Amino acid sequence: MNDTIQTILALIALALALSFLIKKFFWKKARTKKAFNDAHDCDKCH
Amino acid sequence: MSKQINVALIGNPNTGKTSVFNALTGLNQKVGNYPGITVEKKEGICKLPRGVKAHIIDLPGTYSLNASSLDENVVIELLLNKNDKDFPDVAVVVSDVENLKRNLLLFTQIKDLEIPTILVINMADRMSYKGISLDIPYLEAQLNTKIALVSTRKKNGIAELKELISNYKDLSITPCMNASEIDREYFDNLRKAFPNQLLYKLWLVITQDVNFGKTDRNEIDAVADFKTKSKADLKRLQQKETIKRYQFINNTLKKGQTIDLNTAKDLRIKLDRILTHKIWGYVIFLLILLTIFQAIYDWSSVPMDFIDTSFASLSEWTKNALPAGAFTSLLAEGIIPGLGGIVIFIPQIAFLFLFISVLEESGYMSRVVFLMDRGMRRFGLSGKSVVPLISGTACAIPAIMATRNIESWKERLITILVTPFTTCSARLPVYLIIISLVIPEGRFFGLGYQALTLMLLYLIGFGAALVSAMVLNKILKIKSKTFFVVEMPNYKLPLLKNVVLTVIEKTKSFVFGAGKIILAISIILWFLASYGPGEGFNNAEEIVKTEYAGQNLTDDELHEHIASQKLEHSFLGITGHAIEPAIRPLGYDWKIGIALVSSFAAREVFVGTLATIYSVGSDDEETIKNRMAGEVNPILGGPLFTFASGISLLLFYAFAMQCMSTLAIVQRETNSWKWPLLQLVIMSGFAYIIALIAFQLLK
Ligand SMILES: Nc1nc2c(ncn2[C@@H]2O[C@H](COP(=O)(O)OP(=O)(O)OP(=O)(O)O)[C@@H](O)[C@H]2O)c(=O)[nH]1
Ligand SMILES: [Mg+2]
Repeated sequence: MNDTIQTILALIALALALSFLIKKFFWKKARTKKAFNDAHDCDKCH
Repeated sequence: MSKQINVALIGNPNTGKTSVFNALTGLNQKVGNYPGITVEKKEGICKLPRGVKAHIIDLPGTYSLNASSLDENVVIELLLNKNDKDFPDVAVVVSDVENLKRNLLLFTQIKDLEIPTILVINMADRMSYKGISLDIPYLEAQLNTKIALVSTRKKNGIAELKELISNYKDLSITPCMNASEIDREYFDNLRKAFPNQLLYKLWLVITQDVNFGKTDRNEIDAVADFKTKSKADLKRLQQKETIKRYQFINNTLKKGQTIDLNTAKDLRIKLDRILTHKIWGYVIFLLILLTIFQAIYDWSSVPMDFIDTSFASLSEWTKNALPAGAFTSLLAEGIIPGLGGIVIFIPQIAFLFLFISVLEESGYMSRVVFLMDRGMRRFGLSGKSVVPLISGTACAIPAIMATRNIESWKERLITILVTPFTTCSARLPVYLIIISLVIPEGRFFGLGYQALTLMLLYLIGFGAALVSAMVLNKILKIKSKTFFVVEMPNYKLPLLKNVVLTVIEKTKSFVFGAGKIILAISIILWFLASYGPGEGFNNAEEIVKTEYAGQNLTDDELHEHIASQKLEHSFLGITGHAIEPAIRPLGYDWKIGIALVSSFAAREVFVGTLATIYSVGSDDEETIKNRMAGEVNPILGGPLFTFASGISLLLFYAFAMQCMSTLAIVQRETNSWKWPLLQLVIMSGFAYIIALIAFQLLK
């Protein structure tokens, strides 16, 4: 029982991590092409 | 609902526009004591007396409305376009009391666009120091405007300014100069061709094209009976305009401003003579750098040790306190060590930012720019390239955006291409951990070897930027003119608030920006390292037990062998072994290989990755540094990082292009994929070769 919960939690973390990275590196590129003057400070560098 | 009015802050660079903006809006935009800090439009809201709301726009500094660089062009495009949603109802021209004459040139130009204009004379706190006194009512009458004498530093005059803005309807829009004075015949023709247009605006649209070639002039060419003049003629007229304006300004200031040189104290000239001296200038700069790097080391060792041990015990505690299972291991072996790998560097990064921001604020940075301008030209860069190169020590992204104030396209392109060589804060953690492992702690004339190595790496980065600039300058066949405007700001006591804000801001964005990626990557790595396909992983226990059956291993030893058998055969281990042939000649094992590959997303991931890989499956919670120091190199048998492999790795990180976000920004700023791709291939290829040579020579 406990094991199942732990595995589910770990898998949720994995899903979140993957979706975050995909969003960060693959979606943004499509957008940056046209955006020229929207807010961009250091938060895009990482 | 009350109407919202648009207020644009316009003025020469470094006059304090952003300081006024912050005072009006209560925001904290970046302020710095050198020209060209603001390169983009920034917006905020200010509540004025009687319930009026103002939409305040902070703009890049511009010397005149005859723009020559991209950031200046932002201002002109706004002022020439009445339909822009930000077109100002009132323009606030911010000037610096010490450079009033030069600042008024822009003021008179904006006035002639018949926009209601307020003149802010900022830095009023410097007046007594410089022996300046002003006849404000006289100036107001001569310039047909309202003046607010402001000191954002002493917080004087802001209320008066708000009052003036809220009464903007009372401002006169009479121009300072009649445009036709520039050339009667030409302007008469212009008026006949476009009877409904404002003459001065037309003139700007026409000349804009001469300077910049961007604004659309089809409209004007379309009128057949209007003859445009040749470019040379237009340039001549522009010069004539400037002279006329200065005549007017000189006349105005003759009566309106008195400067008592006896009371003026000028330390500045003496200081400048030393700080920009051909030899002493460099000596002082070097001494300052040495002090900074030594201090980064000396001051941060205590907090760093504290953070390192805290994370180790947090991991331990998590393991003991939570029920055993996949999620607990993920926390204790993946997430916590991964995050610890970045948090540990906060002290050093914060100190670095602290020093840089003090140097910027005091005005010293601009002396460095001036000092180096002569040398930089030889490399195909301009003095202005120093600002991006130096701010690249924080992050290449704002640095590349800061190139927008370089007028010449060729110089700008070169600067964009070479800026990623400067040691950005993301490289710092990698350098620090490797240095602490392979460079001895001894001292040499009070300077630690470790601090010297770090400084050397910074200089290597800077040197690589210069050399590649020189090469690019030879290769690139782009014609463009170079201009020279390096303006020396005044020396100022750094404002504690500005410095602290900058440090917090930069450190925060480093930690949170990097933290999110590292968190995500360490989760994924943990999975890849904790699961694997096939026999080698699933039957790890039996395999190890049969292998070591004869030898009498303790439980602990057996456990360790099983863990490493599992890791080797996990998904991560298999991938790592696949790439190992490529990195073996550089002296790295497959774990470093994984860290290297994952850090192509962002460099700071390196330390977190290693921390995660080394934590998976191990029982005793050690600090990151100890764990890496204890790891054995499979190739050489000794410690994982020998002097040779350590140096090789340092050099790899010094040159390689490992930052996806920088590539994206370069693509945006150059508007082509060609440049970022070239950057990626050439820089990383070069890094590989240098690291290879270094390891083969030193091993
Ligand atoms: N002594 C004094 N210094 C000031 C005052 N206002 C601003 N400064 C300093 O002047 C420098 C320039 O300020 P900024 O607000 O960045 O100037 P800016 O016009 O926005 O500059 P750019 O964006 O580069 O065009 C900073 O070092 C400020 O601390 C003032 O009233 N008195
Ligand atoms: Mg500014």
